[in-house]
Amino acid sequence: MNTGMRLNEIIKNKLFGRYYGILLLLLLAFFFWGIFKILSPDNFGSPEKMYYYLQSSIIYSVGACGFYFIVVMGLFDFSIGANVVLSAIVGVTMAKQFGYPGLLAGAMACGLLIGLCNGFLYAKLRIPSMIVTVGLMLVFESLAYFASGGQKQSLDASLQFFGKAPGNMILALIAFLLTYFILKYTKVGTYCYAIGSDEYVAKNMGINVSKYKILGFVLLHFFVGIMAVLSVSFGTSMTATTGMASMSRNFTPLMGTFFGLAFRKYGIPVPAMIIGEFIISIIFNGFIALGAPTTIQNVVTGAALLTIVALTTRPAKGVVVK
Amino acid sequence: MGEILLQAEKVCKSFGITKAVDNVTLTFDKGEIHGLIGENGSGKSTFVSMLCGIHPIDSGRFLLNGAELHVKNQVDANNKGVSIIVQEMGTLSGLTVAENIFLGRESRFVRFGVKNTAAMNREAANLLEKYGFGQINGTAMIDNYNFEDRKLIEIVKATYFSPQIVVVDETTTALSQNGREELYKHMKRIRDEGNTVIFISHDLSEVIDFTDRISVLRDGRYIDTVSSDAVSEDDLKRLMVGREIAGKYYRTDYGRLVSSDRVLTVKEVSVPGQIREISFDLHRGEILGFGGLSECGMHEVGKAIFGASYDRKGAVTLPDGTKIESIPGAIRHSIAYASKDRDNESLVVYDTIRDNIILPSINNLAERKILKRKRLDTFAAAHAQMISVKMTGIEQFVSNLSGGNKQKVVLARWIGKDSDIIVLDSPTRGIDVKVKADIYALMGELKEKGKSIIMISEEIQELLGMCDRIIIMKNGAINGEFHRDERLNEEDLIAKMV
Repeated sequence: MNTGMRLNEIIKNKLFGRYYGILLLLLLAFFFWGIFKILSPDNFGSPEKMYYYLQSSIIYSVGACGFYFIVVMGLFDFSIGANVVLSAIVGVTMAKQFGYPGLLAGAMACGLLIGLCNGFLYAKLRIPSMIVTVGLMLVFESLAYFASGGQKQSLDASLQFFGKAPGNMILALIAFLLTYFILKYTKVGTYCYAIGSDEYVAKNMGINVSKYKILGFVLLHFFVGIMAVLSVSFGTSMTATTGMASMSRNFTPLMGTFFGLAFRKYGIPVPAMIIGEFIISIIFNGFIALGAPTTIQNVVTGAALLTIVALTTRPAKGVVVK
Repeated sequence: MGEILLQAEKVCKSFGITKAVDNVTLTFDKGEIHGLIGENGSGKSTFVSMLCGIHPIDSGRFLLNGAELHVKNQVDANNKGVSIIVQEMGTLSGLTVAENIFLGRESRFVRFGVKNTAAMNREAANLLEKYGFGQINGTAMIDNYNFEDRKLIEIVKATYFSPQIVVVDETTTALSQNGREELYKHMKRIRDEGNTVIFISHDLSEVIDFTDRISVLRDGRYIDTVSSDAVSEDDLKRLMVGREIAGKYYRTDYGRLVSSDRVLTVKEVSVPGQIREISFDLHRGEILGFGGLSECGMHEVGKAIFGASYDRKGAVTLPDGTKIESIPGAIRHSIAYASKDRDNESLVVYDTIRDNIILPSINNLAERKILKRKRLDTFAAAHAQMISVKMTGIEQFVSNLSGGNKQKVVLARWIGKDSDIIVLDSPTRGIDVKVKADIYALMGELKEKGKSIIMISEEIQELLGMCDRIIIMKNGAINGEFHRDERLNEEDLIAKMV
């Protein structure tokens, strides 16, 4: 057995593979931190700043966790951004009446309903999830606009516990543990993977595929509801936008989901989504520290994402990648 | 006559205008291994797929222990005492071994919605140990295991809950001798426990050896049930085809000289972990056979010649010095390849027969880069008819064809391309005697036309019967070479395989 094969065997070992995956991600985070620290030693990468980057990244990590449930089934959703805006506005409005319970329940219940609506229409209309959710994104954007009357909705200063540590950390941690629990300790996780692997066989195994797809959308948007609480608390306000402007909010959580999928083979999708978003946050903030224009930031961030996922996924030769 | 466990009464199933199962009435006894045989397209797989809830019944019914059996899907069938081990991959990637074994039946490990993964893994480990598959780790991802190990896992999945009926649908074609022995052992265990195995296979000798009774279907209709110890292979062939099939469907010529013109030279070809330093020449009009145990590396030889291997070293060269390094290069220089894994590597199964046949010839069929539908249709229809593909038309999807007819589509494609060197990996795998005879006849015709064929096969008889020369491989290297000779027998070849 040559060294490469021996290494593969060791990586295949479940326990070691898990640590290997986490180590690899942490090394990547350290690598990008190192680069930007060298290029901008004064403006970037102090412990305080790193903590701030982490706090901003966990908002997207929560969205990534939600996205994971549908992406593993081969589905997609373009209405995440619109949901963040609508759920945040509903949460802020209800918080004015009911305080924290209103903020949490309003945003999460709104998210749940949106998920149910997306899933139900996808299952009943039997058209691709991308098309259904683009249509619904326009609807949700408009609803948010009407609900807010086109005005910025600010969260009262006394209700911003989830905007900074430890509030945001606690809420995000609960979301991460919940994702881990659902994936590992309920049938939902197993069935999502089964449907993504071969829907026909899954159906023949007695799995109600439509039901679990709808459930996938519900879970996604429930987590997006939590993301909305974290977003509006972190930013202290939310303004409704129309004309697909919310679309850009889809992609940062999705990048985290890609990390989760790429590192699923090590059995660590949730830690991969958390550390992956942190890496993306380091890169974003590194560019800000350098004063690079947004277009350059986007180009390099996109390239970094592709490079990281390509290098870490590396499927066996001959395996079909779609 | 034993006690009846399962009864099929006037069961019918059609796909479009094709009657796949036509009014079949048949009984299966308690505690028997019951063979179910027939040509490709005779309705065997459709019959059992209705029993297992994969396809709904059009009319008729199944009675289990005298009570009507209604099943909605495979898990529902499992719950009612019927399970199946399928021909194709029946496990799901992305799940662990344990999750695959208990997929759809996790409820026993779930309490208040929480799955006890540790208990599930423990149970899987116990089952794997009990079945003698202790080398398989229940907590590992199923993707870490090869096709054969995944079949062994399917045996556990399909039988651990002691179903009354276990259907084994052409599973042995995918297994090595060791895997087959394991399967036979568990089939006998199931019978000895008083349950019933319905065993579908095209290997008539194994059907006779391992079953108690055999039922024959032809063109979707029930023909007869016979006792396994009172029939010969020729009797079964006659029942399957409806006329006498001569035992000698192989070549009968011996002593003919093969041309000395080399059409391909393979020199010191290696693929890491698969084959080592393989060298040979292929001559014009020669049928060169490759044999050995399933994992000996012979299947990789076919891929290496066709430029489909990764990290290949050594040279595959044409007489003019052209080196074959890639699949497009191989096709451009008139090399064809039919993979052992027909559905995944040779055919676009969810596409029409026409599109499958024209694929490699599309550049030749285009006129100034424009494809004319009529020309494509004519080309595909002519080649499909030339080798008698049983179809409703060239618009029919390949997924609806039987295994033998799928193989014919693969062959029609390469005949259409007029390839000079044809690599056939397991060309008769899972194919009935009638289509087998057609394929052998076709190989003979191609040989007469001066085409060269490399036939890779796990069936020793067909190597002996069809090849001018046979190379035997062992542990990734060539371990013996034999020239066509009437006196050559199975033992000579086996001695070099093991």
